[in-house]
Amino acid sequence: MLNDREFISTLDMLKYEHLDVRAVTLGINLADCSSHDLSVFKSNIRNKMTGLAKNLVTVCNRVGDKYGIDVVNKRISISPIAVVAAAFSSKQMVEIARTLDDIAEEVNVDFIGGFSALVEKGIANGDRALIEAIPEALATTRRLCSSVNVASTRAGINMDAVLLMAEAIKKAAELTKDSDGLACAKLCVFCNIPEDVPFMAGAYLGTGEADAVINVGVSGPGVVKNAIDRALAGETRPDLGRIAEIIKQTACKVTRVGELIGREVAENLGIPFGVVDLSLAPTPTVGDSVGEIFQSLGLLSIGVPGSTAALAMLNDAVKKGGAFASSYVGGLSGAFIPVSEDLNIEEAARNGYLNIEKLEALTSVCSVGLDMVAIPGNTSVDTLAGIIADEMAVGMINSKTTATRIIPVPGKNVGDNAHFGGLLGHAAIIGVKNADGVNRFIRHGGRIPAPIHSLKN
Amino acid sequence: MKKVIITVTGPDKPGIIAGVSNVLYNQHCNIENISQTTLQSEFAGICLAAIPESLSIQELQAHMEQGLSGQNLQITIKTMDEETSNPANTITEPFIVSTFGPDRKGIVAVISQVIADAGVNISNLKAVFQGGDNPDRNIMIFEIDVPVSIDLQRFSAELSEKASAIGLDLNIQHKNIFDAVNRI
Repeated sequence: MLNDREFISTLDMLKYEHLDVRAVTLGINLADCSSHDLSVFKSNIRNKMTGLAKNLVTVCNRVGDKYGIDVVNKRISISPIAVVAAAFSSKQMVEIARTLDDIAEEVNVDFIGGFSALVEKGIANGDRALIEAIPEALATTRRLCSSVNVASTRAGINMDAVLLMAEAIKKAAELTKDSDGLACAKLCVFCNIPEDVPFMAGAYLGTGEADAVINVGVSGPGVVKNAIDRALAGETRPDLGRIAEIIKQTACKVTRVGELIGREVAENLGIPFGVVDLSLAPTPTVGDSVGEIFQSLGLLSIGVPGSTAALAMLNDAVKKGGAFASSYVGGLSGAFIPVSEDLNIEEAARNGYLNIEKLEALTSVCSVGLDMVAIPGNTSVDTLAGIIADEMAVGMINSKTTATRIIPVPGKNVGDNAHFGGLLGHAAIIGVKNADGVNRFIRHGGRIPAPIHSLKN
Repeated sequence: MKKVIITVTGPDKPGIIAGVSNVLYNQHCNIENISQTTLQSEFAGICLAAIPESLSIQELQAHMEQGLSGQNLQITIKTMDEETSNPANTITEPFIVSTFGPDRKGIVAVISQVIADAGVNISNLKAVFQGGDNPDRNIMIFEIDVPVSIDLQRFSAELSEKASAIGLDLNIQHKNIFDAVNRI
């Protein structure tokens, strides 16, 4: 029998603290759709994807209604297209992208992720074709997301791929200059990409995964913030150990909700359940912000000294709570700091508390990386590659996932605003050193070797 | 042995349960289930007991009146109807209906009528006034057992419509989400 306090705290989480299921993502393996004939391949993926996903949205809505919790996004992640469509040219890859976009519309999912390549160690023909296709593919579709893994702790950093991606980002921004470089908001460059992320734009289905799988992304920065606020308003002042404990317990509760929903959706669809990804993923809404948590913890703003320590504590407590709640926690599971998608973080960047260097430092302890960062449109390919390489190095050395989702906003400069719309939000453009300069280091090419696994200092 | 239901209501004070249970013990009755609650200063208890065939309800009532005399308690005893002790074998799912809004007359009447009309049973009901000045913190919680055969969407739409007509915000959700969050 539940007591009043348990009822009320759960109702509060759902009603006032923006607890939601951020994404139910259906992973679909496309390996068995391969063909040398483009029209056969397109018809194979259409048949398989529409067959598996036709009830996804209905089932998610029904399960969401049953539990009184919003399933905000319904998505599909697929096997990396560079692998399953390796036989095709970049022009044909763009056609595949458009087919995927049509499929997304047909089954009414918000996004399809997996226009992806894994090139941390080398670039195969299919990979090169896909990377070449990315700018046009993202500029001419609405619901397709792309990710490319260019580094890993085991392989090092493929600097040739880093440069290719910098060029792709630059071109994608130019092709969508009317919408502030929107295509770049659908493109992530990764180090150590997880195979089961339900969150976009980095979702794809790993090659070690089943034929179809349901992964769930739960969010809840508002729930965590309110739990901290309540604890600090109490009579006994909690120390940081106690605050971390409260975050952990809250993360545990949130994860349990995610697993409940995920398992029920999976059961209804007759598809195995994969993982819960418990990430504090903000939206541009007051009360649904990761940045606000920093202020609750006593910092003037995210970005001021103390922020990295606070984020380290937050991220670790979230992971611990999630790991206790479910045996199948995966994906990114931690705190996201996407600048444009979080009103509070965006404000910190606008007010100068947060610059790109501090963001990079924060990514050494949070779950992803330089996320939704708008930079000047005249940023050179060299400098973009430098930013990506730095971020990859943080992930490679620390054996963690890092990524960049940066937008060089065409025609705009520091202090201007970029508007991406919807959950992607808006952002003040922040400065980059040597923005339009050259960078000989990046142009050396080759692969930065994988790091040593002993002598850890 | 036959089964009886004993209900006791009246002003709460120490010794009511002791009084009831001692009378039953002395009359060789066995308590099979018992529950009590209090609202402000009022006590209400309900007890399911097995009593010897030789003991009549009137005799037991007399013993109770005597054992609990002077406490201003209302005691009723009735034979348990075997049919009601085995309710129809309907398969149900537990749901929680919660209403938020200013306290006013008719909240329980309106909401419980919709629930009754749908053939849904209320298994627990409580009012939580966290209130103070904030009317949104007046919360009613109905625990209900919804037969799997009914159209849940229509039922919740009906509930929400009736609730909003009297200024309430209403949620209905499967009880498992509360268990998932609060129970390991």
